[in-house]
Amino acid sequence: MKKIGLIAAREFVTTVTTTGFLIGLLIMPALFALVGLLAPRILNARSPQVRGDVALIDLTGQVTGELRTSLDPATIEARRAENLRRTMGEAVPGVGQATSATAAAQRAIGGQVPALRIVERPAGATEADVQREKDWLVTQAADERHLALIVIHPDAIVRAGGRPEFGSYDLYVSATLDDATESVIYEGLRLAIVSARLAASNLDRVAIEATMRVARPQSVIVAADGEQRAQRGFTRTLPFILGILLFMGVMVGGQTLMTSTIEEKSSRVVEVLLAAVSPLELMAGKLLGQLGVGLLVMAVYVGLGILALFQFAMLGLLDPMLVVYLLVFFLITYLVFGALMVSIGAAVNQMAEAQALMGPVMLLLVAPYILTPVIGRAPNSTFSVVVSFIPPVNTFAMMARLASGTPPPAWQVWLTVLVGLAAACAAVWFAAKVFKIGLLMHGKPPNFATLVRWARAA
Amino acid sequence: MEPALELKAVTKTFGEMRAVDTLHLVVPRGAMYGVIGPSGAGKTTAIRMIMSILFPDSGALSVLGRSSALDAKDRIGYLPEERGVYRKMRVGAFLSYIGQLKGVSAEDASVRASRLLARLGLAETERKKLEDLSKGMLQRVQFVGAIINQPDLLILDEPFGGLDPLSVRLLRDLIAEEHRRGATILFSTHIMAHAEEMCQHVVMIHKGRKVLDEPMVGLRRQYDTRTIRLEPLDPRADLSPLRTLAGVEHVNVVDEGCEIRIGAGTDPADAIRSVAAIVAPARIELARVRLEDVFIRLVTEGDGAQESESVLRANLQGLEQVS
Repeated sequence: MKKIGLIAAREFVTTVTTTGFLIGLLIMPALFALVGLLAPRILNARSPQVRGDVALIDLTGQVTGELRTSLDPATIEARRAENLRRTMGEAVPGVGQATSATAAAQRAIGGQVPALRIVERPAGATEADVQREKDWLVTQAADERHLALIVIHPDAIVRAGGRPEFGSYDLYVSATLDDATESVIYEGLRLAIVSARLAASNLDRVAIEATMRVARPQSVIVAADGEQRAQRGFTRTLPFILGILLFMGVMVGGQTLMTSTIEEKSSRVVEVLLAAVSPLELMAGKLLGQLGVGLLVMAVYVGLGILALFQFAMLGLLDPMLVVYLLVFFLITYLVFGALMVSIGAAVNQMAEAQALMGPVMLLLVAPYILTPVIGRAPNSTFSVVVSFIPPVNTFAMMARLASGTPPPAWQVWLTVLVGLAAACAAVWFAAKVFKIGLLMHGKPPNFATLVRWARAA
Repeated sequence: MEPALELKAVTKTFGEMRAVDTLHLVVPRGAMYGVIGPSGAGKTTAIRMIMSILFPDSGALSVLGRSSALDAKDRIGYLPEERGVYRKMRVGAFLSYIGQLKGVSAEDASVRASRLLARLGLAETERKKLEDLSKGMLQRVQFVGAIINQPDLLILDEPFGGLDPLSVRLLRDLIAEEHRRGATILFSTHIMAHAEEMCQHVVMIHKGRKVLDEPMVGLRRQYDTRTIRLEPLDPRADLSPLRTLAGVEHVNVVDEGCEIRIGAGTDPADAIRSVAAIVAPARIELARVRLEDVFIRLVTEGDGAQESESVLRANLQGLEQVS
């Protein structure tokens, strides 16, 4: 036992005291911060302003004016700012009062407002007229682009005798029209037609809009320890965050476990070690040491996370039991993957050979990322329940379910833990066999079939 | 007293190849045994089985009275043929770590490491990283690692491989020192000269089989070649009268003197007296048997000279040290 402790201590200290580890530890938070800062700027870089003509055949004669207004760049911009103010107000309290700065920033994010010129075509047009306009849409002039053709149906504003529904419009667009501009045209048309209808019915548009609008306030969770503003975003992202934490902890420990084993094997220090300890002691020590490393990484990130929650006074949203579960599931997942990684490390001679064996393991490790959204949406579906009992992804699945709004029954959690522990035992058993044989094997790198044969032979 | 090491019909097969074939071996406590044989003879496999790093397919072994080296690892010192270090570690820390793994307390381990390093002229390397050491230095450090637990049994697999002559001498002195301390020593080498100079007892292995297991003293007697080596006091002395001496079959003049072959039936002691009476000797002796010759004789007689003698010789003289 003392020897295992010695090996674990060395493993831990040598890993943690490298500069690479420190950089690795800090690079994740740094990366997140960087992405948070840069992504909006990069992804929504200003595209050149779209300019062009939109032909309009208004068979009602009542929409043209309204459309000119609703597609006016100034109106579009005002509308965007207003929308932004509302969404932000709903999502994050305190941001409701949009400052000019945020509005400007959001204008930048939305891209340039298109400059659309409405070109009126004579109303009462026949099929032939429409066809002529379509041809116009196809011929693109160098100095002005022909973007779209709108044909407003005659009953779009006033219902044709006895019909319950209003008429609508046809929209023909050029092949080069981008999605953003098309949406602008759709929205402009909707507003223009509604306005025209209201005017035709002698209704007060402002009054009606106000009547239709019901502000959606933040829901407030009433709990024993006080009131809390519900953060839908938080509960939605929590399963992901916990999954990533689990992944990180396992990856950091597991990856180092593999590389350090390969290093010991290729530098031939392993035979010196085997003169002092048994292969099982060596493996146990290494697993334990890297477990410490993984725990340290998790502790740092969980600590930072809690600090951040505390900072935003959202600490109450985090169920402390989740941290306990995270720890339990980390132990299980680490043992399963750590054991696999250490056996791969023992089986191969150098890093390059490990890649072939790593593939399936990595696949298992990233599978939860595909599963988590599915599970998050329906945490108690048959699929979710079944997946949380299939190792090695069961711990990820259960973690996501626990973090969701409707946690699973206790027996399922226990079953996941039991299945996980069984898987961990099996993985460690397998690894011990492979480790023992692999350490002194040099030469042709084995495949998984060989590893299984070793495990059965040893 | 039970032997330090006992192997009973130990066999190990790798696929088609029998690396070690029904090997019997008894090493008494306090002995200095040399296991010799060309590269690929099965020496390392045998040693790994003794160390319980590999396990025999059949047969039994006992190490320091235990059925497995696993139960006695703290009392064994082992210098593997393929010996590595943690290159990024510092010398002192590495030795202390190895010592602790072998059950030495942390304080004792670092005290012993310092003392042994100083003894080997490596005192100033204690704070250096292992990757900064020369190969000779590394070998010495590794040897310190093997004896840091003051083992009762010291097993050295090709301890002289790739060493310069100076380091070889230093290492030989250290091994002798450990032997004097009371350790049982078993070392393997494919260079016969090393075994000739050092061991009391020789075990020869060829293709996994033991072909010889004899004390050096007995070997010398048994394989006495009836050759007298003479180095005359006066380098210009006339050696021709020796040719007519009774019992002398042949006189072969070599660099420093001559080799005199005496016939069967002539007592070597009488012959030495007669030779010395004719040419005043600076040195006169019966030529000692060379292990290399013994080995070649055993192997070529044994299995119909499957291998060419020159190849074997080249191997045994260490010309093919990259094994």
